[in-house]
Amino acid sequence: MLAVAFIRWWYGAGWRNLAHNVQRRSQRTLDSFSVPTLLRTLFAPWKRIITAPGAGIDAHLKAIGDNAISRLVGFTVRLTVLVSAGLSLVVMMLAGVIQIALWPLLPIAAVGLIIGGLL
Amino acid sequence: MNLINNLLDLRSIRATKARLARKLGEPGYYTIVAGEMAFWLLAATIVVIGDNKSVAFLAAGLGLVCFMLAQWYQHDLKPLPPEDGSFNGRLSGDVLGRLPADLTVTPQRLWQALSTHWHMYFLMNHSLLFADSLRLGISDNPADLEPVLKTAAQLAEESGRQIIEPGHIIVAIQLHARGLQPVYNHLKFGSNDVKALGDWLNRILDMQDRELPFFGGIGRDWSNGFTPTLNRFGSNLSFAIEHSGAHFSTMAESPGVTAVQNSFAQGAKAVALIGPNGIGKTSHVYGLAQLLLEGNVVPTLQYSQIFGLNPSVIISSARRPGELEEIVLTLMGEAVQAGHVMLFLDDAPLFFSNGPGSVDLTQILLPVLQSGRVRLIMAMDASDYQRLRVHNSAFANLISPVMLSERPQAEIMDILEDGALGLEHQHNVIITYDALRECYRLSGRYDTENAYPGKALNLLEQALSHGNGGAITAESVQKAIEQSRGVKVAAAAGVEADELLHLEDTIHQRMINQTRAVKVVASALRRARAGVANPKRPIGSFLFLGPTGVGKTELAKAIAATYFKDETNMVRLDMSEYQHPDDVKRLLSNGADDNSLILAIRRQPFTVVLLDEIEKANPNILNLLLQMLDEGELTDSGGRRASFKDCIIICTSNAGADIIRQRIEQGEELESFEREFTDELISNGQFRPELLNRFDEIVLFRPLKPEELAQVVGLMVTGINKTLAVQNISVELTDAAIMKIVEVGNDPRLGARPMRRQLQRAVEDSIANRILMGQASAGDHIRLDVGDLAL
Repeated sequence: MLAVAFIRWWYGAGWRNLAHNVQRRSQRTLDSFSVPTLLRTLFAPWKRIITAPGAGIDAHLKAIGDNAISRLVGFTVRLTVLVSAGLSLVVMMLAGVIQIALWPLLPIAAVGLIIGGLL
Repeated sequence: MNLINNLLDLRSIRATKARLARKLGEPGYYTIVAGEMAFWLLAATIVVIGDNKSVAFLAAGLGLVCFMLAQWYQHDLKPLPPEDGSFNGRLSGDVLGRLPADLTVTPQRLWQALSTHWHMYFLMNHSLLFADSLRLGISDNPADLEPVLKTAAQLAEESGRQIIEPGHIIVAIQLHARGLQPVYNHLKFGSNDVKALGDWLNRILDMQDRELPFFGGIGRDWSNGFTPTLNRFGSNLSFAIEHSGAHFSTMAESPGVTAVQNSFAQGAKAVALIGPNGIGKTSHVYGLAQLLLEGNVVPTLQYSQIFGLNPSVIISSARRPGELEEIVLTLMGEAVQAGHVMLFLDDAPLFFSNGPGSVDLTQILLPVLQSGRVRLIMAMDASDYQRLRVHNSAFANLISPVMLSERPQAEIMDILEDGALGLEHQHNVIITYDALRECYRLSGRYDTENAYPGKALNLLEQALSHGNGGAITAESVQKAIEQSRGVKVAAAAGVEADELLHLEDTIHQRMINQTRAVKVVASALRRARAGVANPKRPIGSFLFLGPTGVGKTELAKAIAATYFKDETNMVRLDMSEYQHPDDVKRLLSNGADDNSLILAIRRQPFTVVLLDEIEKANPNILNLLLQMLDEGELTDSGGRRASFKDCIIICTSNAGADIIRQRIEQGEELESFEREFTDELISNGQFRPELLNRFDEIVLFRPLKPEELAQVVGLMVTGINKTLAVQNISVELTDAAIMKIVEVGNDPRLGARPMRRQLQRAVEDSIANRILMGQASAGDHIRLDVGDLAL
């Protein structure tokens, strides 16, 4: 009776549960890397460090240069994190898909390996 | 099949799985995981170093089996998700796993099976009960099981939980166990309390199920600027919530937080949270901070963080003129520069008024608010807001007020329960449910200056130091309030009960005659201490009528001494000083007016209030008296209430004293003309009927006869002896001497009052002379006869 219960769970709720976990892990990765926030602020100055333009063309040009550097730093840091997030997500999704694909085969594999070992 | 009324099937697959999960438990699970690792390792080792493929296959196969078993345990056997809508399909694995397949289930056996479950410990500990001692009071009849199970299912339904938890079963058993009734009656624990404890447990289970809030990830703060000055003078509430683990989900859902959001969404740049102390203004801001972290806010507030500014720190940091303004401008500038910053000014009035520890910064904050570049949240009470509107209307007009009102009792109890869990953890104590209930009740009654839930939480914290064996009970709360407020709330017992039963005797030790007056007063006090009197009115209210010097004030003092254990525990006001309409202000002043009745009662709420010569008071003051007697409270000039519910209010009057004397002299008894006398006082306009009707008792005092005056003199001599005891000298008057003093001093209009003067002349002067002349020294006993008196 318990064996039947186990098989029913493995090919039913257990499999669904695995798919749900893979989805949840992917969402968590997106959240942990703050992907939506980083995309929204990708070109924003780093830590809002900006130089107010002073009087004169030199000061104006200097402010533009400083602010461009601040934005470049912000862009670089955010892009690095976004790339890391993307890579992590890809790895996680791949691992998840493999897990989901292999899951139904595991009981058969276990039985096969044990019989193979005993023979 | 052990199928009980189609509800409980102990041979079902679900029940079998639950029993297997219980047998395995966490040790079994970890053994399986360890086995899995060992088999994988063995298989890998053989593959690498050996050529015995069969063993490697077998090891790998067994490793896979262990893996699958571990997965099954972790995701199915242990949580045992609900299967269908049936009772058996919804019953928790924690219950099913504890019931053997062949058990004939009865409520008692179910109780026994759950006796070691943590739900049982929680419910028993918080009601100071023991599962084993209650077991025998629970039915052992299988026929009584069905109603229990149905009630448990209903409780689960009401709590919104799909699973029927052990706690639901335990509560249902308690509700149906008639044998437990005597125990609950003894503990004053009703079925509603049993259910309330169950609800407390449900909320803990809900909290456990709730996923931890997500606060934005590593990139969240990169869009905000640096805030060194804000960090120095304030605290980042968002950061505090994220790192402390203390979450404010309950507060985040409150109407106050929604109102703040709505105000900002409608374009307000400053919001004032207005409410009395203790209502939770700061907690509301923490609730908003949590919502902001989770991102569950209106779009205009997305990504904002809240900094709390401490006015005291800022004000005390300014050492030279103008520095304070510089600091505030820097803070505002930094908030603008950092972006998405909301500033929270706790104790905001300290920024809006000049005075000790406060400074008026409205002129600096006004342009900041007008520019609309920083959002401000301010906490203040209604009177501070009103003051701001009067003195700085331009500033006040930019503020959107959010009035916070007290939450319903059920929500306050929820907050108390949450607070209790934190305190239990911090102080390693158990706080019983009746302690929480008592905190709510007593803080409501005795702390009229603060609001819920703060006042109840404060009382709970005070009660921690009155625990008994690690348990904080209703008695702990009673002791805490007795100590902090000087009131008596615990039921009278032992010596005190005995004293109350013999109150008349105690009072008569210092009161001569006036038997009827003493009796009615003593009865009223007994009613109050036994909890029979109306708790919404003063303990007792009496109008003492009679001539001067017959013991009216003395009885008031005697009450203070016997009931409040201190004769000086009395607020005494001469109402002849309150004859003008303006005098009401003095009486209700919340400032430092020595004659303020309100202040006196706040200082000492458990006291005798003696209002002398009440008939001379202004009618406006008599109206206040009506309110005091009716509702047990008055409101001061600042709008705050003061409770008179633990006072004994005594008004005295000489009105009609001549009539009393004449009728007594004509041989009438007081009881025979009491009613007629009262009617006469109303008809001749000396008292309004609505006032007289408000008193618990109108007590007439009769003039003292010469022999009673002699007893008064005797009491006075006892008083003199107490004074002389320091010098080890005692004095005694012969009967003839006492009668002589009475004869000389007797004045029917003044009662016993001249006796004091006569005694001073006749006895005290005589003894003083003897001491000074060296005729009396330590150890002497002086006996004075008529001839010795210096009359």
